[in-house]
Amino acid sequence: MRLSFKNNYQCVVRLNKPISRMSTVHTQNNSTRGTHVNKEEPFGKKPLNVLEKIRDNLERLNDKMEVMIELQKHGRKDLGAPLTDAPLDVMTLLSMPDHLRKTAMTICRCGRATAEEISVQTTRARAVESAYLNQLVIMGYLKKERKGRKAYFYADRETQG
Amino acid sequence: MEMGKIIAVHSYKGGTGKTLLSVNLATTFARQGKKVCLFDLDFRAPSLFAILNMPKADCWLNDYLNGTVDIGKVLIDMSSKVPGNGKFFVGFANPATEAIRDMSAKDRKWEMHALGRLLSLRNSLLNEKGFDYIVFDTSPGLQYSSINAIVTADFVAVATTGDRSDVDGTRRMLRELYNLFEKKTGLVINKVLDATALSKRQEMDKKVREVYQVPMLGLVPCFCDILRAEGGLIFVRDKPDHPFTKILDEMAKKIEKNEIC
Repeated sequence: MRLSFKNNYQCVVRLNKPISRMSTVHTQNNSTRGTHVNKEEPFGKKPLNVLEKIRDNLERLNDKMEVMIELQKHGRKDLGAPLTDAPLDVMTLLSMPDHLRKTAMTICRCGRATAEEISVQTTRARAVESAYLNQLVIMGYLKKERKGRKAYFYADRETQG
Repeated sequence: MEMGKIIAVHSYKGGTGKTLLSVNLATTFARQGKKVCLFDLDFRAPSLFAILNMPKADCWLNDYLNGTVDIGKVLIDMSSKVPGNGKFFVGFANPATEAIRDMSAKDRKWEMHALGRLLSLRNSLLNEKGFDYIVFDTSPGLQYSSINAIVTADFVAVATTGDRSDVDGTRRMLRELYNLFEKKTGLVINKVLDATALSKRQEMDKKVREVYQVPMLGLVPCFCDILRAEGGLIFVRDKPDHPFTKILDEMAKKIEKNEIC
């Protein structure tokens, strides 16, 4: 696992080694001591779960950092007071600043998408889209849902309607 | 394989020829063998019902946007009315006074749902049912339903005339609405006097780029035949050799080949 710092605010986590390879290393070390170790799961599932939890938490932290960076970049004026389930209609789209409108319109077209998928359409960096999407979540226009490592964003037309 | 396109026909003022353009553009695509769907999104003044001589419909676009029926129930197959192998489906707006009043009183949340329903047509009609074109005939001005149609569309044909208030309003609308949505737009100048002269066409083309700062999709002369028909003819079907039909063919070609940019 490698922790790298892109800037003062952003912390990115990379898992360079697959878990199975890490397991092999431990198995070899332990086998020299002559103890019986399960080759598949040397320490059981717990360390793996802990690592995954750390990774998820760091990713959440990363998302929040990205929002903070964007807020500093554009100032809080874009954000306004957080709203609950604000309708993402065309008039709202018109009143948005340009950078957020582009993201909001793309998510309207896609329905449900990750920051990565949105960034392909807008040709902006994934981290930038992630920040804008999180900003729209805070503003109450979008909902965010995590499935494993991926965060999905969508306009929840059912609860907003 | 290239995916189908959604085209919205819009204008700042009424009476600029949006419906004439929508019906004839959709029919032109159908004549060329395409699978086309024409929607009447002018809920305040529905007109396709009368123009296409439809005796009755069981379900309306109003019902689809209200979320009470699927789009399949709204579409009426009118392919037999168009020559050639193309497919021509129409979704009508309910012309009843009560329905018009109901649509005029919708709130923002309903409009947000309506936008979602319009956006989902891309998947249900273009992706799943293999339509080549969806043409939206919209209300004039900045109505909610029209802006929803513009947001949904891939390309917007804006109809305008030489009327001073129309020119001014269209210019503002293009700058303050279309630019914000980064829409691919083409301008159709309708009811132009002396439009057959090459010098006039060149002058208009230059004027369009200067005044509106968008490319010109077409220049339609003021045809007495169109006025005389009183909305009873689909020109590209009934008058295949008429100059208007040729102009529509050129417009369809420009849209198909993405020559407007």
